[in-house]
Amino acid sequence: MAVALLVVATAVFGALLAGGGEQGRYLDPDDASLRGSKALAQLLRDRGVRVDRVDSVETAESLAREGERLLLVGAPWNGDYSEAERLANISGDFVIVGDQPYLDVLAPSVDHDGQARLRSREPGCRLPAARAAGNAYLGGRTFEADGESCYAGSLVTAGTVTVLGSGEFMTNLRLAEDGNAALALNLLGSRKAVTWLVPPPVGAGELPGPGGRSIQELMPDNVPWAVLMAVVAVAVVALWQGRRLGPVVAERLPVVVRAAETVEGRGRLYRARRARTQAAEALRGGALDRLTPRLGLGAQPRADEVVAALAARTGLEAGHLGTALYGAPPADDAGLVALAGYLDEIERQVREH
Amino acid sequence: MALTGRAGLVAALWIVVVLFVPGPGYAVLAGCLLLLAAIVTDLVFAGSVRPLTFTRSGPTSVRLGETATVELIVENPGPRRVRGVLRDAWQPSAGLSPKSVPIDVPPGERRRLVFELKPTRRGDRSSEAVTVRAFGPLGLAARQGGHSVPWTVRVLPPFLSRKHLPSRLARLRELEGNHPALVRGQGTEFDSLREYVVGDDVRSIDWRATARRNDVVVRTWRPERDRRVLIVLDTGRTSAGRVGTGWPRLDWSMDAALLLAALAVKAGDQVDFLAYDRAVRAWVSGASRTELLSALVNVMAPVEAELVESDAPGLAAAILGRAKRRALVVLLTDLNSAALEEGLMPVLPQLSSRHLLLVAGVSDPLVAAMAAGRGTAEQVYDAAAAERSLAERRRITARLRGHGVEVVDALPEDFAPALADAYLALKAAGRL
Repeated sequence: MAVALLVVATAVFGALLAGGGEQGRYLDPDDASLRGSKALAQLLRDRGVRVDRVDSVETAESLAREGERLLLVGAPWNGDYSEAERLANISGDFVIVGDQPYLDVLAPSVDHDGQARLRSREPGCRLPAARAAGNAYLGGRTFEADGESCYAGSLVTAGTVTVLGSGEFMTNLRLAEDGNAALALNLLGSRKAVTWLVPPPVGAGELPGPGGRSIQELMPDNVPWAVLMAVVAVAVVALWQGRRLGPVVAERLPVVVRAAETVEGRGRLYRARRARTQAAEALRGGALDRLTPRLGLGAQPRADEVVAALAARTGLEAGHLGTALYGAPPADDAGLVALAGYLDEIERQVREH
Repeated sequence: MALTGRAGLVAALWIVVVLFVPGPGYAVLAGCLLLLAAIVTDLVFAGSVRPLTFTRSGPTSVRLGETATVELIVENPGPRRVRGVLRDAWQPSAGLSPKSVPIDVPPGERRRLVFELKPTRRGDRSSEAVTVRAFGPLGLAARQGGHSVPWTVRVLPPFLSRKHLPSRLARLRELEGNHPALVRGQGTEFDSLREYVVGDDVRSIDWRATARRNDVVVRTWRPERDRRVLIVLDTGRTSAGRVGTGWPRLDWSMDAALLLAALAVKAGDQVDFLAYDRAVRAWVSGASRTELLSALVNVMAPVEAELVESDAPGLAAAILGRAKRRALVVLLTDLNSAALEEGLMPVLPQLSSRHLLLVAGVSDPLVAAMAAGRGTAEQVYDAAAAERSLAERRRITARLRGHGVEVVDALPEDFAPALADAYLALKAAGRL
């Protein structure tokens, strides 16, 4: 019982924990939730564009050496400054989604301008990709750059770098609206391959503690040794308790079987099958076996003789006696109980008279 | 060897030391080495267990429900004091107390240990081994060793029904004429002539003797003596069932058999005993009058009901082969109609033609209580089932009586006296 409860509690707790972590990774090509971008990655692959999901600068660099690719920095990249510099030095096109901590490193020629409400906007520029796509869900940050500036400044180009005020239009939630999908495909599908940079997974164990030290580092050095000593102590106690004082003595025990079990079993069978016919027969037979010797009749008296003798002896009505002793079996359980009571009454009367 | 709780305590306390000293690794090492050294020292200086010698004394049999006192003398011929605990390993149902005793035997001395046995079951109970654990001077470790000191106590049937013996013996004396009473029956033997007193049966007047004397003279009779009684105990499956809440049928049968044997011996009859299921489990024959009861309880003690169907033809052959002369054969079994129908009934003619057969079975008070159950439908169905089994019992009893077999069917508490009364009735009627 307790074990079952524990198992259920563990499963529920685990599911809650997993559910808590499963809020969707923003602009992740492998994430099928509303915040992810699996749909876009799938569209790109359908069009023959290779999509490589990358979560480290090293991989991005090695992929870039293989040939012309487009680097997409989607979700905010939370690496350090040197990594941002290395990213910026990768050759190829860049598509950068706005709120990056190191935007000035990644796209030095783009300046942050202001904010714009996130909504469906018209392109309002001559950029072919934007014009072909039409309206798109953009806004967020706005930028200044020497290239094209579309969607009220939330999409700017500067050389090989394209900066977006928001990546919302590329999520699974928004992709089907307006020209969002077209715009995303136009922007990302310009090369044969896309290096899709996502933030590296953050493990719980790597969370920096107070002063950046883990619990092992905070523990005094003596504790592991004390645990070792405790193991020794437990072993000594186990040896103490494990040694028996002499052998276990076996004994051949006789069987314990109650003699009345067969009778009880038959009673339960009667009960299970509602065998009123057999039960009534047995009760009547027992009562008759006890009554007939007291009536002074022969060894095998006829039914009417017994009923007549009983009626004369007890003063009970002969019709009732006949029905009780030789009648049809009772129609229900209440009838059977009543029959047993009546038979008892006859026997009591015969004993007393 | 064996460790003690003290060794565990020392190791546990050392954890505290390890927690607070500057070099915990060395502390652990030092602690372990010290403990090991102390344990080795203890083992070296502990008294040696192997050379101890043991002597037992005490009764070899005890009646179930009574207490036997078994003594064990431990002698220490070794050079060191043996201080520790001793366990005498008996079977659990021997009811040994205490389970283990502390001992302290200086070199060259001996100590007497007393154990009490209060067995909970009939049969042979034996001691498997005596184990001694001798502690070292520090009390951290002990030497341990076992010795085989065999001793068996036979737990005899309790013979609870012996309380009924005096009243039945009084009845027997009445029959024998020790009390002033005139008894006459078929097959009784002529005893003596005496003067007529008022109240004597006029039919017993010996007219020829009366004519020779001036007084009316009556003949007195005494019951037959030196008849044979063969008590047969069925140890098959039907005897294993427990009646009521306590003993199996077998034990009630044994109780009744003991009362019958005690009575029959006093009545001057020769009593034999056979226990049988598919083979002879016990056989007592030709025991002298004074030793019969002890011989009976001795062979009965280890007999248990086997979970096999009794072999009735084999039983009949065993009876016929052992009882050459006419005897009263008392068969203690269960009046189970199915078992008797297939087992005893076919061989009944063989037996009843040579011997007088008495079949006795314990009835179950639980079934009687169930038959009286009223009130709810469930209880009435149970009552019907009980009535049915009682009716079957009555039917088989009637069939047995029809074959000239005496039948005793009684509740456990009344079983032994009922069987004794049946025997006395047969004796009084001169039917033995």
